[in-house]
Amino acid sequence: MNLKATAASSTSDGTSDSSAPRRNSKKPKYSRFTQQELPACKPILTPGWVISTFAVVGIIFIPIGLASLFASQRVVEIVDRYDIDCIPETLRNDKLAFIQSRETNKTCTRSLTVPMDMKSPIYVYYELDNFYQNHRRYVKSRNDKQLQSKKNENETSSCDPEANASNGLPIVPCGLIAWSLFNDTYRFSLSSKVLEVNKKNIAWKSDQGHKFGDDVYPKNFQSGGLIGGAKLNASKPLSEQEDLIVWMRTAALPTFRKLWGKIEVDLEANEQITVVIQNNYNTYSFGGKKKLVLSTTSWIGGKNDFLGVAYLTVGGLCLFLAISFILLYFARPRPLGDPSFLSWNSDPAGHMN
Amino acid sequence: MSGWDRIRASGSRLGGGGRSRNSQTTVHLGRVQPQHPGHRTIHCNDREANLPVKFKGNSVSTTKYNLFTFLPKGLFEQFRRVANLYFLMISILSTTPISPVHPVTNVVPLSLVLFVSLVKEAFEDWKRLLNDRVINSTPVDVLQGQKWESIPWKKLQVGDLVRIKQDGFFPADILFLASSNPDGVCYIETANLDGETNLKIRKALERTWDYLHPDKAAEFEGEIQCEQPNNSLYTFTGNLITQKQTLPLSPNQILLRGCSLRNTEYIVGAVVFTGHETKVMMNSMNVPSKRSTLERKLDKLILTLFGVLFLMCFIGAIGSGIFINRKYYYLGLREGVEDQFNPSNRFVVAILTMFTLITLYSTIIPISLYVSIEMIKFIQSTQFINKDLHMYHIESNTPALARTSNLNEELGQVEYIFSDKTGTLTRNLMEFFKCSIGGEVYGTGITEIERGAAQRNGLNIDEVKKSAAAVHEKGFNFDDARLMRGGWRNESNAETCKEFFRCLAICHTVLPEGDESPEKITYQAASPDEAALVTAAKNFGFFFYRRTPTMIKVRESHVEKMGKVQDIQYEILNVLEFNSTRKRQSVICRYPNGRLVLYCKGADTVIYERLVDGDNNLKKVTRAHLEQFGSSGLRTLCLAYKDLSSEWYESWNEKFIQAKSSLRDREKKLDEVSELIEKDLILIGSTAIEDKLQEGVPSCIETLSRAGIKIWVLTGDKMETAINIAYACNLINNDMKQFTISSETDAIREVESRGDQVEIARVLRDWVKQELKKCMDDAQHYLHTVSRPKLALIIDGKCLMYALDPTLRVTLLNLSLNCTSVVCCRVSPLQKAQVTSLVKKGARKITLSIGDGANDVSMIQAAHVGVGISGLEGMQAVMASDFAIAQFRFLTDLLLVHGRWSYLRLCKVVTYFFYKNLTFTLTQFWFTFQTGFSGQRFYDDWFQSLYNVIFTALPVIILGLFDKDVSATLSKKYPQLYKEGIRNTFFKWRVVAVWAFFSVFQSLVLYHSTVAASRSSLNTSGKMIGLWDVSTMAFTCVVVTVNLRLLMACNLITRWHHISIGGSILAWFIFIFIYSGIMTPYDRQENIFFVIYVLMSSFYFYFTLLLIPIFALLGDFAYQGIQRWLFPYDYQIIQEIHKNDPEVSSRVELLEIGNDLTPDEQRSYALSQLPRETSKHTGFAFDSPGYESFFALQAGVLAPHKAWDVCRRASMRQQPAPPKN
Repeated sequence: MNLKATAASSTSDGTSDSSAPRRNSKKPKYSRFTQQELPACKPILTPGWVISTFAVVGIIFIPIGLASLFASQRVVEIVDRYDIDCIPETLRNDKLAFIQSRETNKTCTRSLTVPMDMKSPIYVYYELDNFYQNHRRYVKSRNDKQLQSKKNENETSSCDPEANASNGLPIVPCGLIAWSLFNDTYRFSLSSKVLEVNKKNIAWKSDQGHKFGDDVYPKNFQSGGLIGGAKLNASKPLSEQEDLIVWMRTAALPTFRKLWGKIEVDLEANEQITVVIQNNYNTYSFGGKKKLVLSTTSWIGGKNDFLGVAYLTVGGLCLFLAISFILLYFARPRPLGDPSFLSWNSDPAGHMN
Repeated sequence: MSGWDRIRASGSRLGGGGRSRNSQTTVHLGRVQPQHPGHRTIHCNDREANLPVKFKGNSVSTTKYNLFTFLPKGLFEQFRRVANLYFLMISILSTTPISPVHPVTNVVPLSLVLFVSLVKEAFEDWKRLLNDRVINSTPVDVLQGQKWESIPWKKLQVGDLVRIKQDGFFPADILFLASSNPDGVCYIETANLDGETNLKIRKALERTWDYLHPDKAAEFEGEIQCEQPNNSLYTFTGNLITQKQTLPLSPNQILLRGCSLRNTEYIVGAVVFTGHETKVMMNSMNVPSKRSTLERKLDKLILTLFGVLFLMCFIGAIGSGIFINRKYYYLGLREGVEDQFNPSNRFVVAILTMFTLITLYSTIIPISLYVSIEMIKFIQSTQFINKDLHMYHIESNTPALARTSNLNEELGQVEYIFSDKTGTLTRNLMEFFKCSIGGEVYGTGITEIERGAAQRNGLNIDEVKKSAAAVHEKGFNFDDARLMRGGWRNESNAETCKEFFRCLAICHTVLPEGDESPEKITYQAASPDEAALVTAAKNFGFFFYRRTPTMIKVRESHVEKMGKVQDIQYEILNVLEFNSTRKRQSVICRYPNGRLVLYCKGADTVIYERLVDGDNNLKKVTRAHLEQFGSSGLRTLCLAYKDLSSEWYESWNEKFIQAKSSLRDREKKLDEVSELIEKDLILIGSTAIEDKLQEGVPSCIETLSRAGIKIWVLTGDKMETAINIAYACNLINNDMKQFTISSETDAIREVESRGDQVEIARVLRDWVKQELKKCMDDAQHYLHTVSRPKLALIIDGKCLMYALDPTLRVTLLNLSLNCTSVVCCRVSPLQKAQVTSLVKKGARKITLSIGDGANDVSMIQAAHVGVGISGLEGMQAVMASDFAIAQFRFLTDLLLVHGRWSYLRLCKVVTYFFYKNLTFTLTQFWFTFQTGFSGQRFYDDWFQSLYNVIFTALPVIILGLFDKDVSATLSKKYPQLYKEGIRNTFFKWRVVAVWAFFSVFQSLVLYHSTVAASRSSLNTSGKMIGLWDVSTMAFTCVVVTVNLRLLMACNLITRWHHISIGGSILAWFIFIFIYSGIMTPYDRQENIFFVIYVLMSSFYFYFTLLLIPIFALLGDFAYQGIQRWLFPYDYQIIQEIHKNDPEVSSRVELLEIGNDLTPDEQRSYALSQLPRETSKHTGFAFDSPGYESFFALQAGVLAPHKAWDVCRRASMRQQPAPPKN
């Protein structure tokens, strides 16, 4: 089509030149562009198109929805909220005092029942609520340069108010995010047999390898009067502090889960897992919940029905719309290109078409 | 550019002045005169003497900027736009800690936008510079020493003696000294100045005639004392002091820059004003730039967006004030925290968060909208309108020209067209077409109007075969063997024929020019009618070839055979001139044999009143012919003669001379004396001149009126002529109820003849008031009848003057808005503008004025859109216009095709811009609710900054360039489609609201779906994703959705759509692959590092990417489907009707584009209207040369006499008229 057009126009240019011998002809040159005649397809949204588009979308979406819903349903998930239960009943009227006190025993034992067989790896998550990791003041309170390399240790800009320790030395890692590192710990046992939790490889490789330097060691961390969260092992480089790395990939929403470790044994249905929780982290001051989550994964990841439901809804809606349009087609038929629908024809005083 | 000027100027000062700077104080001291502030003194032919007075150089610069002023001035211009200024402020705000975003977010788009705008400005200025350079380096001959030397224009200095050759342009304002013509005259064409093409005469002072040859001219010494440069084109005062004599100078000796020399071999002159001081340059004012209605509405939309922005920020600010609390200890809100997060002062927190959010949501204001629109319109006008082959006129070799690109879409909403008549509807080429001599009609041609009328009646008239005798030259298009080549000798009424031809050859005020042979002669006439009549006489064998003050020489060939040619001199005794009250013109001449005859030609009404009694049959027959001519759209004149006895004449002539020499009321007395002799005339016959309608005018008007456009004709012509043309153009027909408000009634004439101005005004006012009221009542009555006839209003200038009075204006407006067509005749240029703005301001409708002459300028500038007819007449109208087209009929293309498309496209572009920014910003807004109203940004800085300028920029421009609902042919076939534009169907608040609704829906889907889908781990590794992963996902979905939405808005999809939409999405992916794939040593947060690769390793990414855009667009799709199904737009029906039409390329047709009507036009022409009666009025042709100044004077505007008129009148008056015997 295009080839033909260019060939034709090139010959025609020749003829037009010869037919218009006028020397200073201001006649514009023909081109499909300037004459606005570019080859184009002109889709018309006929009812046929509308109905078939809806139908096709519906037909594609429903299987996808079913598949992902199925995958999501296969995931076994144990969720246990422990923030209240882990406070002795006597102290529950002042949870804040309990959590802030150094004397209280924060160890707490929970028992979980495995609802279904869980294939390894079983992922251990903690879930926090009402925790605004996406608050503007919080998100920016870190320094990627400092985390990356030892030579940038003194870079603490944007880390306020956790930039420098009381002695004026820079805190490594600085900033509110690191300072508020989650510090509850979990120990799992299955009928008094300890379930090992693998805490390796819980952070994204890209974070571990590039964002957190292997020559950067924690310094002056949590040395101030206010302790925000976990302390770090000063002898391990940041790149190996995977809990910190996970924590510092800030969550999008105030309710979030973070990976804590992996249990690499299969669990069977109705087995009782005993969890010993060190309930250190203060979510009580802002009324946030704490949950422990054990979950397997499938090919779509963890348990999340949203995609499946959304696909099914959209697919179903499309089918419904397709059917409605078919009904509409019969209820209010309009032949394509019926001139009587032209506004000037519906006007009684109108003229000829 | 002006910097360059300075260099040049200083250079010349140094070059020539090293010597003179010294000499200035010593030798030439006496000659240095302090310049009076009121004049300038120029020493001719003496550069040194002029040096102390630093006259400006002749170099002209029309550029806006130079190298140094470009940036500051250009930026200043840019920041006068509110959107740009807003973004500047946001950019400044975003450098403060209050901002959640890096300055880059706002600076990058702003600088890109500024960059594009500045490049455009620079490009335009560069073109101006090149143009200036060409003009400045045009060569001109200057006297240096004793010979002519060619130097560029820019080197010309005040006082130089220059020589300009035939057809050359004058490089500066020049004092005319000598001409190669013997009598010291030259002819100039002032088309560039005032648009008039007839030549004007300039005459040098007799004393300077000799300075023609270089050796003689070198001796010329003179001092010119004249006024300072000013912009009045028609005045000049000054003296030339030469040889100790002071000679007064008048405009008659001044040749203005911009004019060109004609019919004169060369002239010599002295430069008086140069460069920017020339009158034409001082006249070049900036045409006030117009803004389109759509853009003004756009401003309102932007304001609404500001309102929405404020509301969003306000909600966020309140939220932040409530949210902030020390309990969120992890936020580190201790004592001494900065004000923005200090929970102890929630009010301050809210206020500061307000500012934070303003910077965050700044994307809601589409920053690149204006620059995109500008770009689209620029290409539309330069590539589409200027290069449209449908609007190229082959005969005058003129393409259409969009002089401004601001108003393209305004062309799609025009409801009222105000058109000039002569030269716009008609060609202003008068051709002698038919005549009636002694009761016999001659001339077999059929006018376009007759043909049209016949076709309306179902007859199809074939082109009449022209006989061998047919002659067609300028001014003469006549075919009848009975008269041609001396054939009239064999007619029964040969004597009458002879009188007829002699009357044509003698009774006129035409000047012959050029070679005295029938082929080469050209006639200079005040009106083209006169020239046509003289040309006709020439073709009938009565060749008028020379005029002296007392004689008219006619070469008469009486027989067929060659050789029998007789040169006859007719002595012209008196000329009784034409004026608008007399409506006739008479010449008294004496034959060589002593016969004294008065020849008279004039309007039929006037002539018939003065005919001698008897031969009523001839009168009746001729009257019938006149009506016939009139209904054919021809302009008629009656010819009559009267033999005079010598005694009677002598006695009359005494009275005439007396009247002529009287000082008071001369005109009036002359009229009275003329009445004495112009009576008892003998009718010879009548002429019929075709003022040819421009091609395709009736069908064009018919198409436009079907498009819902109302056309008003505003003309300086007489009522009869105007009505005639209105009939011819289908504007008025006999089915219409016509309201005529005319001041030409006996009662008014009588009052006027009494001459009491106050009385006249009072009577006229009452008359107009009464008439208007009557018409209004009638109109109301008709509108309530069942048949609802169409109404037409015809009003003349004098009545209009009173009708435009504030008290009557509303009635006039109401009446005229109810009329389908309105004809205003005898209106002054000022009134044309008044009528235009009456409708523009009073009715708030979009108006378009079209005209070709200087008298249309005010109207062109007053209307929303001004269109000039280019090609034939001068440039004045074109220079004032926004669009210039060669033919009236091109309005169809300009409005129905280009205008409609531009409107459609611009509406889509604007609403789409609105939508895409709102959608994007709203996702950000929803996020704010989940961040404790802290104003945390959802997207990375670069995402946000490139969103508008890269990822969504190009497709919308492509849409703005290429989208079209139906093809050009169909646009013209269904002119009613245009009504969608008049009703502003596509940019109503309702349309905007629909877009806004779906925008909210989409943003909710986009934000909440991406977020909800990310709550669990995404793949089998169990790892969780964070904020930046989600936001990248969301952004990907936004880019895809928004680009796909554009595709849904398109009526057609070209390769460019694929490239731009695919390219935009691809650009995003390429960007994110690179951006997230690298770590930089620069100071940036590495939030985005590897994000896209993490995402793409999961099914979540693909599933979401498939689901969300479809989910988001579901609503739009269903809406479009239902809208099209149940409430289709007209264009959609047309699309469906012609769904299966093959794609017709107009290429072949365009390459052979001629002046034939296209088959479509012919069809619509044939179908145009119901058959109608033949009208009963006669056309009447006689342009009055002075009517414009006459009316202008009445309106209080001083329009000086044209030099040509002055000159001609003077030569007439000088005629000594004593009898010879």
